[in-house]
Amino acid sequence: MTAPAPKLRWAYMDHWRIDTPQGQLSQYTSVKRFDVFLKQISAIGYEAIETFDFHLGPLRELFGSLENARAFMQERGIDKVLSLFHAVMYDERQSAPHLRHTHDHIFNYAQHIMRSSQGLGVENFIVMPAGLYYDVEPVTDDKIKACAELWSRVGKMTLEYGVKTCCHHEFFCGIRSAEELRKFYEYSDPRYVFFYCDTAQHVIAGVDPVDLYLKLQDRCGGFHMKDTLDVDLTGDYRRKPDAEVMAPTTPRWFHEMGVEGGLVDFPALLKAMKECGYEGWVGVEHDKADIGGGNYPESTALSAWYIQHVLKKIYA
Amino acid sequence: MTQQIKWGYAVNQWKAGFTSFARLEEIARALKVTAACGFSAVELCAGSGRWDPIGRPENIDINFGSPEHFRLKLRDWGITRVASTFFDPTLMSFEELHFGLSSTQPAEHARIVAQAKIHATMLAQLGGEFLVVRPFPSFWKEGALNAERMAAAADCWNQVGAMTAALGLKTVLHIDALSALRTAAEIEQLLALCDKDTVGLAFDTAELTIAGHDVVALYRRFHQRVLHFHFKDALATDTLGEYRLPNAERALIAAGGEREIPRWFGEMGTGMVDFPALLAAMRELGYAGWIIIESDKGPEPIATGMMLNSWYKQNVLDPLAR
Repeated sequence: MTAPAPKLRWAYMDHWRIDTPQGQLSQYTSVKRFDVFLKQISAIGYEAIETFDFHLGPLRELFGSLENARAFMQERGIDKVLSLFHAVMYDERQSAPHLRHTHDHIFNYAQHIMRSSQGLGVENFIVMPAGLYYDVEPVTDDKIKACAELWSRVGKMTLEYGVKTCCHHEFFCGIRSAEELRKFYEYSDPRYVFFYCDTAQHVIAGVDPVDLYLKLQDRCGGFHMKDTLDVDLTGDYRRKPDAEVMAPTTPRWFHEMGVEGGLVDFPALLKAMKECGYEGWVGVEHDKADIGGGNYPESTALSAWYIQHVLKKIYA
Repeated sequence: MTQQIKWGYAVNQWKAGFTSFARLEEIARALKVTAACGFSAVELCAGSGRWDPIGRPENIDINFGSPEHFRLKLRDWGITRVASTFFDPTLMSFEELHFGLSSTQPAEHARIVAQAKIHATMLAQLGGEFLVVRPFPSFWKEGALNAERMAAAADCWNQVGAMTAALGLKTVLHIDALSALRTAAEIEQLLALCDKDTVGLAFDTAELTIAGHDVVALYRRFHQRVLHFHFKDALATDTLGEYRLPNAERALIAAGGEREIPRWFGEMGTGMVDFPALLAAMRELGYAGWIIIESDKGPEPIATGMMLNSWYKQNVLDPLAR
């Protein structure tokens, strides 16, 4: 008798850097380093990776084509690049979703990524749907509408490539509060704009990710599951130039699932996913896991432990 | 036969110094990483000092209350078995008040047996099966063995073997790359002197390769006495005979010797050990017992070495064992 197919499959959002004799490098710097990376995450149960779109070039250079890169990944147990995180340097001159005169540029860039990412099996195009909060504020309804217009347009285009545009709200994003999120998803086209639930980012921003997931479950394209020990109570989200890595109050915002004192209620989220019948990929993320002496492999393995020993007992 | 092979992971690589693997949360993290990599059994390492919470029975009592509570805590972390404990009497011990004991010195046997009993007793309470011992000092300290010292060592380990048998355990001798006992002929002599019912061999693939052995051929020769395995790869062999160097632990193993070998030990599949051939021989000869994988002296992060060994086991060795 064969076991029923799992309803959830686990992907790893890749932020790794590795120590080498030449200092800390990305694993996209050599086939051997990429090989070692893939084997590690495959060994502990992840079946796909999520990565940044700026890694498309290195993958093509390392393997000759993205099809070759995917075949290499599959030989090591990693099926695909599930998601590409769109690395936009938000700039009012050319890339600011709340400013309509920059929309063509953002759209064309997104289209370029779609055209140049074929062969990896990408399903999701993940974007921060507004610029940095301090660039956007005051956040008005019209600015949120402008963002919604842009991503509805981009989302329609990416679906033509079989890819969902998913919005991922960092705690310092211009659309971050429960009310701003409500408006954004109301203004954007539900056919084309999807929600990506980053558990820690929402908690830091004071938003309950379980409640948010239940409200947006019909539009949920996936998850970045990570934990945090802190809610931003001092307005760090408005700090220049970078709230994520330079906030004076909180050196390390993000931790692996299962960390002592973690504020994300993952069991409640998994129960909600089960009740809503969510099936498909779940991403796990550890951005900035190396702050304070941590390291990516250990955080990844600890999250895998939490999946195996806690979450799968709730919903697999 | 292969269904009877059981896999575990050694914990020694986590204890790189006084400050690592000391806090209980570090131990929890390390064992969760181990469990996440698919290993639910471990080999403990006998230690010394208050900064080694799981290397001494008295520290187990202080930190966990009792061996039984320690077992329950291990289970919480996903570790359901303690397979074995590694004990090296040549290392100094604060608790036993010595700077290293030698099995070739009959006057030191009673102290070795007494110290081994402390760890064996805890291992038995934890449900373990094998006390893995370092049977000889390093060659640079001991020099070449003669019949008298060989007999003395065998007597020592027979005493330890009898002691462990009374606790329901077996004693296994772990020949390492620096050992005073070097050759297959010497291993044969030693085994002939040891009680086959209570004393066997722990076969460490990397240590024996570094010492110049063909591990598949060596295993075929001694398989009837091999009761335990350590699987790790060897990235080089000691071709210059530098095990004779003074302080070879530092000069050769840590510093790499004249060739400045950066790492002697590697993850399975990256070095000179032919694990598929060895596993095939083990299957053919009906090995049933533990294989303890090690990341001995791997680079940081330690999790990487474990994860790579896990991948190799799942993708290369497990298919061969089916």
